[in-house]
Amino acid sequence: MNERTTRQSFLGEKSDEIFSKSPIAILGLCGGGSHIAQQLAHIGFENLIIIDFDIVEEPNLNRMIGSCPQDAIDRSLKIDVIEKLIKSINPKAKVTKISGKWQEHSDVLRNCVGIMGCLDSFVARDELERFCRRFLIPYIDIGMDVHKSDTGFYISGQVITSLPESLCMRCLGYITEERLAKENEGYGNAGGNPQVIWPNGVLASIAVGQLIKLLTPWNSELTLSPMIDYDGNKQHSMDSPKALALEKHICTHYSNDDLGDPFFSPTTK
Amino acid sequence: MKIEFRLTLNLLDRIHKQLSLPHSFAAERVGFISCGVSKFPDNGLLILGESYLPVADDDYIDSPHYGALMGSPAIRKALQYSYKNHKAMFHVHRHEHKGNPHFSSIDLRESEKFIPDFWKVQPNIPHGIIVLSHDSMSGLCWYPNNEKPKPIKKFSIIKPSKSNARWIA
Repeated sequence: MNERTTRQSFLGEKSDEIFSKSPIAILGLCGGGSHIAQQLAHIGFENLIIIDFDIVEEPNLNRMIGSCPQDAIDRSLKIDVIEKLIKSINPKAKVTKISGKWQEHSDVLRNCVGIMGCLDSFVARDELERFCRRFLIPYIDIGMDVHKSDTGFYISGQVITSLPESLCMRCLGYITEERLAKENEGYGNAGGNPQVIWPNGVLASIAVGQLIKLLTPWNSELTLSPMIDYDGNKQHSMDSPKALALEKHICTHYSNDDLGDPFFSPTTK
Repeated sequence: MKIEFRLTLNLLDRIHKQLSLPHSFAAERVGFISCGVSKFPDNGLLILGESYLPVADDDYIDSPHYGALMGSPAIRKALQYSYKNHKAMFHVHRHEHKGNPHFSSIDLRESEKFIPDFWKVQPNIPHGIIVLSHDSMSGLCWYPNNEKPKPIKKFSIIKPSKSNARWIA
């Protein structure tokens, strides 16, 4: 245990080693992903894969940790800004940057012990969950939304922890064919959804907590809820009633008889 | 070459339960894990355990020299499964102790005889052997075109969300 992490020593004698050796990927580096990257760097994760195809623009500055006005002027890549943030916290960290679609670099992700998804669309989440199930990788997804109501606005969000042989986003009703179809129809016209920094921070913190539970559970009575709902108006989070209702449900959307590469060959990449 | 074997706790539990069942004459039980396969970018190999195929009671041969001796039907069924489903096959048995298990000289000698047979039905897929203890495991993997097996360097056990123990071992 090094001096830097003495205050988190309750996570176990080997926690430093576990964190430093566990490759974690963060997909999407703006409101949620930037918070997650910052926290993982502080905790001591030293093998981080960060993926985002986008550049920093003025509207990102209200919530993207590590970004500053000069990044928007320079149109800096988000991966460069987050790499700088991670390295400033933990210079020993090895950061693998991918500026592009994760699907074109999925071989890098197979090594991960966890994938943190901070993606904008249901289609992207669906694809990523399929990938994670195929390679038995725990997937933690966060999302927030702002809805208009009669009395003003309502902030909500959720953290979904999708583990092999456990409830998936389809079981939980988060991914539905209707949502996917609707998103596909409106593709390109979605516009910018409202996003603010504090719910992003809360959801990212819950997601990081889920990851640490996976790696170094600090209490034998911990449970790992598949879905945690966040009520941003009341400022509280709770196990999703959907997940509680489905406690004994067995996922029928994914099975373990189709793992790995469909057409494996020793000579192909 | 870095070789990782990844499987769920549920599958591992099922294997342990099957291996614990008594047999009328064999001193221990054996079986096969069917697996999907993938690669890491640095030319490493990822093997993903999918299901367990226990050797049927009638497919053991009564022998005073072996704890468990498979008859030819057992091997034939595993070969058929591999051929039909395009799967890597890993023979598995258990040593009755805790801690890191090691293959015996008999384990190695017999495996070297039958594991390469799987290349006759699936020539481009790695196959191998796993030995469990009550809390650990070791393994060897035969990669296509390599006669000598390579050790499996890492085992990852992925636990479901309902478990309250450590989720990733």
